[in-house]
Amino acid sequence: MSLRKVLALWIFIISISVAIYGFWNIYSISEVEYWTMVASLFLISSACYASGIHHHIISKGQKGLPMLVYGTLLLSVAAFSMYLPTPIDLRPWDIYVRIPNRFFFSLFMLLSGLFGAYLSFRPYYDYKKEGAQVGAYYIFHLTLLFTLLPLFLVIFNIITRGIGGITWEFLTKDIVRMGEEGGVFPAILGTLAMVSLTAVIVLPLGVGTAIYLSEYAKKGLAVRVIRTAVNILQGTPSIVHGLFGYAFFVLFLFDGRKCLLAGSLTLAILTLPIVTRSAEEALNAVPSELRDASLALGATKWETIKNVVLPPSLPGILTGTVLGLGRAAGETAPIMFTAVYFSGAGTPSSLFRPIQALPYHLLSLYRLIGYRDVEQQAWATALLLLLIVLGINFTAIIVREKYRQRF
Amino acid sequence: MLAKIREFIKDETKCERIDLPENTKMRVQDFDLWYDDTQALKSVDMDVEEYKVTAIIGPSGCGKSTLIRSLNRMNDTIPSVRTEGKVWLDGYNVYDEVTDCVDIRRKVGMVFQKPNPFPFSIEDNVFYGCEVNGMDMDKEKKVKKCLKDAALWEEVNDRLDENALSLSGGQQQRLCIARALATEPEVILMDEPCSALDPIATAKIEDLIDELKNHYTVVIVTHNMQQAARVSDYTAYMYLGELIEFGDTTQIFENPQENSTEKYITGRFG
Repeated sequence: MSLRKVLALWIFIISISVAIYGFWNIYSISEVEYWTMVASLFLISSACYASGIHHHIISKGQKGLPMLVYGTLLLSVAAFSMYLPTPIDLRPWDIYVRIPNRFFFSLFMLLSGLFGAYLSFRPYYDYKKEGAQVGAYYIFHLTLLFTLLPLFLVIFNIITRGIGGITWEFLTKDIVRMGEEGGVFPAILGTLAMVSLTAVIVLPLGVGTAIYLSEYAKKGLAVRVIRTAVNILQGTPSIVHGLFGYAFFVLFLFDGRKCLLAGSLTLAILTLPIVTRSAEEALNAVPSELRDASLALGATKWETIKNVVLPPSLPGILTGTVLGLGRAAGETAPIMFTAVYFSGAGTPSSLFRPIQALPYHLLSLYRLIGYRDVEQQAWATALLLLLIVLGINFTAIIVREKYRQRF
Repeated sequence: MLAKIREFIKDETKCERIDLPENTKMRVQDFDLWYDDTQALKSVDMDVEEYKVTAIIGPSGCGKSTLIRSLNRMNDTIPSVRTEGKVWLDGYNVYDEVTDCVDIRRKVGMVFQKPNPFPFSIEDNVFYGCEVNGMDMDKEKKVKKCLKDAALWEEVNDRLDENALSLSGGQQQRLCIARALATEPEVILMDEPCSALDPIATAKIEDLIDELKNHYTVVIVTHNMQQAARVSDYTAYMYLGELIEFGDTTQIFENPQENSTEKYITGRFG
């Protein structure tokens, strides 16, 4: 084995370790130990220098340059990191949050480790193109793993901690003593009622807008403005929707009373862009030849849309709507000012009465931790919410697969 | 005959009229068409003879598809299109303000380049035109008649409720013809109906066109000069949006008057 291959392997192993270590630090709450990171950074940078110098100077090749650059980069970060200030404390509101700036450092370690591992493939393959190719192949697979892992960690964590709290009583009893006793039945019903009502409101509005944009509107300034407006609506933070809902629906329409209808209307505004965009995409996916065929048979535009364009795009529209509803079911900010009371409300009885919903109940429970014994209930509520959202999304997948249309 | 066609005129007293010569079903008169600022048709004049097949040939981009789509106002669906001039159908102006372009399309049916059956069952495909036009009739009989006229009945009579997309390309195209026949049109426009089909399916469609001209007036756009020579009675040659030459098919192919026509037909360009 040549010296270059040994160096390449050395860089690979250290880089991957750094990446994993950085990754672990991002998702773990334990303290990061500086010296390990700094030392490992020094180690990789020295190895990079060795490999780069070996190729650049001894073999007189030009391709060692990336290694030298990478080594220098790591060296400077390692040096800089020794002077990093202490972690920052943030105290917004009443929640105590501690964000160590090491988070970003760990993120950098993850990315830099992946990049180093990618670079190490080139010297291993004698600086042939194949090296970069193989490197890219494995590194992108690793990236995928690092992306999926948190998802599974979150789900696994919630399931293992929450499953113990899910009992028949928890699912069917009223909320007692702010959730410390009893169950979450009103919250489940409240969430389902609000989401169903949202669907009823958003579906005609969203599909109508999509039909206008896709079928009727002439391509021009007006359509561009509407589409941009829809996109901006989608990018708006949900708390802004919540405040708008409070100002317009609660204060203006319902005399300052929070209620189910106000919450659903707010959630409808939140999900409207998702529904509109997915519906528009589904409508655009119907080939224009079918529209021509229908028009050529003497059908009017509306008959064409009704008979030929809408039926095949319905699965796509429903999928988008259900995905939007999945998002709506998990939102807290839009409903906290518009529909829910602090654990007080019972089972939903009227459109004009406040309700309780799972995400907000979870927030209330979280705030109580430390004062009352509600941690188990909080995890169980989180699991329930997760199950409902996953269930909604899963429905969307089934609908799409079952009614998928080919042309 | 006039009584049959009047349905598409909303207000007959206001509609412009001329007397076409006998046997002339449609007349294109000094017709211009623009896509935004690009002129695609330049003062085209052409007559379409009743119960005959008229072929439009020419190199790609010469405007032949645009011209055939102008005959039943299918170009109205493209927002950037602007037209000038007149198209007469039985002496009524197709482009008159009081003409209903939806009803025009029922009287002037169309078959497209790519077979485009709806993703419905075969019989629903055929009956679609009757349904949207509120033609009250026996569905079974109607479907059977149209499929027979389109020479497709023998192949599909045992699976009328199957999805039309399960048919082969040639069968799909004949289904599209059957579908166009169902609205009882008087003129049938075919925009390169065989270009997506294999030779055997093409031969079937050509035989069918021969049959159709006994009851319908047919206008066909084609890339294939042999096909034009085989199926048509009249041929129009177009180049760069202009109608260069129009006449008897035999005359166009054996004794073209224009230099450009001769070059194209003998394969020296295009």
